[in-house]
Amino acid sequence: MTLEAPRISNTLHINMGPQHPSTHGVLRVELELDGEVVVKCNPIIGYLHTGIEKTFESLTYVQGVTLTDRMDYLNPMGNNLAYCLSIEQLFECEIPDRATVGRVLLAELTRINSHLVFVGTAGFDLGASSVFLYCLREREKLLDLFEWLTGQRMMTSHIRPGGLASDFEPEWLAATGKFLDSLPKSIDEYESLLTENPLFKDRMIGIGVLKAEDALAWGVTGPVLRATGVAQDLRKTNPYLGYETYDFDAIVGEGGDCYARYKVRVAELREAVKIAQQALKRLPGGPVKTSNRKVMPPPREELGQSMESLIHHFKLFTEGIKPPAGEAYVPVESPRGELGFYIVSDGTGKPVRVHERAPTFANVQALPLMAEGGLVADLIAVIASIDPVMGEVDR
Amino acid sequence: MTVAPERFQTAFPDAVHGISADGIPHILVRPEHLVETIRQCRDALGYGRWVDMTAVDEPEVEPRFELQYMLYSMGEHRWVRIKTQTDDRAPSVTGVFPGANWYEREVYDLFGVEFDGHPNLTRIMMPDGWNGHPLRRDYPIGGEPVDFTVTRETYGTGGGNELRG
Repeated sequence: MTLEAPRISNTLHINMGPQHPSTHGVLRVELELDGEVVVKCNPIIGYLHTGIEKTFESLTYVQGVTLTDRMDYLNPMGNNLAYCLSIEQLFECEIPDRATVGRVLLAELTRINSHLVFVGTAGFDLGASSVFLYCLREREKLLDLFEWLTGQRMMTSHIRPGGLASDFEPEWLAATGKFLDSLPKSIDEYESLLTENPLFKDRMIGIGVLKAEDALAWGVTGPVLRATGVAQDLRKTNPYLGYETYDFDAIVGEGGDCYARYKVRVAELREAVKIAQQALKRLPGGPVKTSNRKVMPPPREELGQSMESLIHHFKLFTEGIKPPAGEAYVPVESPRGELGFYIVSDGTGKPVRVHERAPTFANVQALPLMAEGGLVADLIAVIASIDPVMGEVDR
Repeated sequence: MTVAPERFQTAFPDAVHGISADGIPHILVRPEHLVETIRQCRDALGYGRWVDMTAVDEPEVEPRFELQYMLYSMGEHRWVRIKTQTDDRAPSVTGVFPGANWYEREVYDLFGVEFDGHPNLTRIMMPDGWNGHPLRRDYPIGGEPVDFTVTRETYGTGGGNELRG
C-alpha cells in the first residue's frame, strides 16, 4: 500500500500473504529483499478484523463468553478463563473448589491442544509433513473429549462467570485420564521426528534470534519471551487458580532462536500433561457453579418451588449479570503469552469497554526484529516459531 | 498483586493516585507529563516490560478519552496502570517503549486519538480509506453504507424500477 518503486536499487519489494500457507491465517508481510536476504520486513494486519471489542459492548457479560472463543480458536477455554476471571474480580464472588480445579484441568488441556497444533504446523512449514498428521491425530482425540464435555469441538464457551457451564461426568474424567497417560509416549514420537532431525535443526538453530531486552521493550510474552532466557510465566510469578500448589516447572530456554522456542513449547507440553494429571487426581466433589444467584442462575428444579429463585432467573436472563462499576484486568498465561481482558463496567448489564491484551499482537509486532537480516526462507521458520493466531491479533 | 501506592506518590506528587478493583495501582497524569512518567516508571521504578495500552471512550465526560498504559515490573512481579485524559491528541511513547507502536496505531484507528511523534500513524485494523472511528461510543452500529463500485446510478437507470418494467 505504501510501497514506493525503487529508483536505483537492487532490492526487490514483494508481498508475502495475506493468503500464504505459512502465515497461519491472513498475515501479510511486505518484504524488501536483496537477493535472498530480507532487508526490511513490515507485517501488515487487520485482514481478520471483525470488531469483536465493539460487539462486546452490545452483549451481556455471559453472551460475551462466546466471543472470547473466537479470538484465539486454539485456546478457547483459556480465553473464557481470562474473561471470567476479570468479571469475577469485579464481583468478588466465591468459586467452588471443583470449578477452580476443573478450570486448571481445562486450561491445561487447551494448552496441550494449542501446542500440539504448533508442533504439527511448525514441522509442516519446514517440510516435515508427517509430524503434522501425528499431532493432529492426538488433537483429534482431545477435540472429541471437548465435544463430549461441552457439545462443541472448538467454540466451547464452557468456563462461565461464576464457575463452569456443566459438571464433569465420571466417564469423561476416566477417558481424559487415559488420554493424558498416553500422551507422553506420543510426545516422544514427535520429538523423535523433529528434535534431533538434522534438517529441522539446520532450519531452526540460530535463526530469528530475539534479544531479551528487545523482547521486554516490545511487550513480547509467552514461549517467545521465555526462549530468550527470561523466566516470566504468570502461573509462577502471579499465580491464579492456585497454580502455586501444583508441581511443575516454568520452562526457560536459551538463545532466543526458533529452536529455543520449539524446545520451550515441547517441554511445556510435557509440563501441561503433568499439571492436568494432578488436577484430575485432586478434583474434589461438590458443585461447579457459585451459589451467588446474582451471577449464576438457580438450578431448574428450584424454579417451581421458590419465588426468589424465579425472580433471580428472570432478572439474569432479561438483564444479565451486573458487576459493580469499576475496571479489572486479570491476566492468565495462555499458550502464547500474557492474555488478559481489561473490562470496564458502569454497573449495568453490558460492559462499557472490553479490551483484550492479545499476546500474539505484541509477538507479531516484533517480527521484523527476528526476520530482518535473515534469509527469506528463514522467515517461514520465524513466523512458525511465533505461533501466531491471527484471530486474536485482529480481533 | 497489590502495591502500596506511596512509592508512586513520592515519585509523582502532582498525579492522582488510586487502586482499581483488580488491585493494580493507577496513576493519572496530564498528557504533557505522560512520556516523562512512563520513562521514570521504567528507569527509576523498574517497570521495564511493556504490557498493554488502550483507550476508554465516555462521550458525555470532558475530556472524553481515557488512555491506559500498562507496565510490568520484572523484579516485583507487579503491574502498574498509567492513565491520561484527552479529547483528541496525546504524545507518543514509542520513544520509551517501541512496543507501543501498534497499540497507538490501534487507538488512532479505532478511537481517533492522534499521537504526536509517532513514526507511522496510519490505520491498522480498518481499511485505509475508512470513515470514522468504530470503537467510539457514538459510532452507529449497523447500517453503514456498502460501497459498491458499480451501482444502478452509474448507468443512469435510477432506482431500478425501469428494470423491473
